[in-house]
Amino acid sequence: MTSNALCFGNDYPASGAPCFVQVDEAGLTITFESEGPDGTREAAPFDALAVSAGGLDHDHLVVKWTGLQGERTLYLKAPDVIGAFRQAAPDHLSLPFAQAAELVRQVRYRRRLVWGLSLGMILSTVLGLWFASDLLVEIAVSRIPVEWEQKLGDSAYRDFLANQEVIKEGLAVTALGEMTQRLTEQIPNNPYKFEVTVVKSDVINAFALPGGHVVVFTGLMKKADSGEEVAGVMSHELNHVLQRHGLERIVKSLGLLTVVTIVLGDQQGLVGMMKQLSVELLTLKFGREQEIEADVTGLQLLQQAKIDPSGMIHFFERLSEKDEGRMEWLSTHPMSTGRAERLKAELAALPKKSPEPFTFDWKQVQASLGSQPIVAP
Amino acid sequence: MKSEILYPGAFPMVRVELTAGEHIKAESGAMVACSPTIDIESKMEGGFLGALSRKFLTGEKFFFQTLRASRGPGEALLAPTVPGEIVILELDGVSEYMVQKDGFLAGADGIVIESKMQSLSRGLLGGEGFFILKISGKGTLVLNSFGAIHKIELKPDQEYIVDNSHLVAWSSTTSYNIEKATSGWIASVTSGEGFVCRFRGPGLVYIQSRNPGSFGAWIRQFIPVSE
Repeated sequence: MTSNALCFGNDYPASGAPCFVQVDEAGLTITFESEGPDGTREAAPFDALAVSAGGLDHDHLVVKWTGLQGERTLYLKAPDVIGAFRQAAPDHLSLPFAQAAELVRQVRYRRRLVWGLSLGMILSTVLGLWFASDLLVEIAVSRIPVEWEQKLGDSAYRDFLANQEVIKEGLAVTALGEMTQRLTEQIPNNPYKFEVTVVKSDVINAFALPGGHVVVFTGLMKKADSGEEVAGVMSHELNHVLQRHGLERIVKSLGLLTVVTIVLGDQQGLVGMMKQLSVELLTLKFGREQEIEADVTGLQLLQQAKIDPSGMIHFFERLSEKDEGRMEWLSTHPMSTGRAERLKAELAALPKKSPEPFTFDWKQVQASLGSQPIVAP
Repeated sequence: MKSEILYPGAFPMVRVELTAGEHIKAESGAMVACSPTIDIESKMEGGFLGALSRKFLTGEKFFFQTLRASRGPGEALLAPTVPGEIVILELDGVSEYMVQKDGFLAGADGIVIESKMQSLSRGLLGGEGFFILKISGKGTLVLNSFGAIHKIELKPDQEYIVDNSHLVAWSSTTSYNIEKATSGWIASVTSGEGFVCRFRGPGLVYIQSRNPGSFGAWIRQFIPVSE
């Protein structure tokens, strides 16, 4: 005989007496194992019983009655006994049985609901943070002063120039200066001081650093068919700076915790960390959205500066057709016909403005760069 | 498994006698000394996932020790980490006990240990965390506490109020609600009680005479702060 229930009463220990409960037609028979070889038996007729749900999780069936030895409380958990009891119980017990079962269901349902709701809330908070992280990054970036950005860019710029040959004067420098001036004149409340550096290298590339340093390689200038094409690239790069894309990338790579720190106001400790990152700025790749943003705002800037925007589109198209040579600009600026198409659509939506040509002759600028222009095959 | 508490009081040990071939479970690290006939094995009770859930959910140790008298009868001395009393319970196969996560010291082989998730309010405010150990089965169960262990016996429907961080173990025939200690929120916080558990019988509630959290806070003020 194995016990399947605990019986409580005044003459039993507070932990309850283990007992064996059997169900028959008349009621319950409870056999206690502790006393004697056969144990003592106690009968509880159905008429005397009251049932309810109880225990820590309301998962016990509590049966109460007043027997010869006083009040008795029985805690049943074994499903087979409870099932047999419910089957054999007369009508007056069916309602309490149903109520007890309902209580158990409610408790379980409520617990699942509460857990479900709280897990759902945690999940939605995490998801919310995930999707709001772009917004957080923007807020964080907007809190970083321009001077810091310039210091950061300056140190990256010096690192880069350490082993590069810079062209300090000549037609190319004046031509780029003219482009920069015409473009920057159109930027309202420009907090940046743009400095364009021409670097002697056959690599077809140009890049901008946070704070306003723009580097153009002579390779790109030789590749371009007109000043307008170079101006298009310049306008694109200037807009990376204006939209603070570099900072956004840095802040993103620093992680959410840093973003929260900046948003909450502690920017001091960040300066040191960002200085270390300045080297990484040179290999920085912008995201797809950032490229598109720089394209579109670059196009608008060209339009405002009355520089023919079709130069930019032509240059992009030519780059996308001939993916060859040392076109590093391509690796950081993935070309696609879709991108040029998008720019054409944007251009069509803009009001037409008659472009004003540059004062320099592009062929002469290219000739001043020394070697032969790279002729497109 | 025959067991006996040595040096009852603050620094007790349990002496467990094992017959040949018998084995018991003990909290990992609980073994102090044993006969050469006894082998100590690390065992993940309830399989890897069970052990993992116990580790991460209840904060209990990942492994239980199994002490096995594989080369003849022997004895082992077991002791808990914290100073405090030990209590030995005989489980009859019907009774179940809920034990807070640090309370388990050792148990006979017939003892079944499971992690159990509490309801949200009990988990948040009950002071034992979201997961507790549910111990059932048949055989000897050894629990330990921080401070002395006090047994509260509850008759059916009898109620008793216990500060939540003093709980060690309670039978599953009891039920409890979390309540504020006093009627007002401010008084609740300033009285130092915060939340209490209102237990309702029948069944047993084992409480410990010291609160580990408060003891930790008290001792922290004496720890020198390093630069």
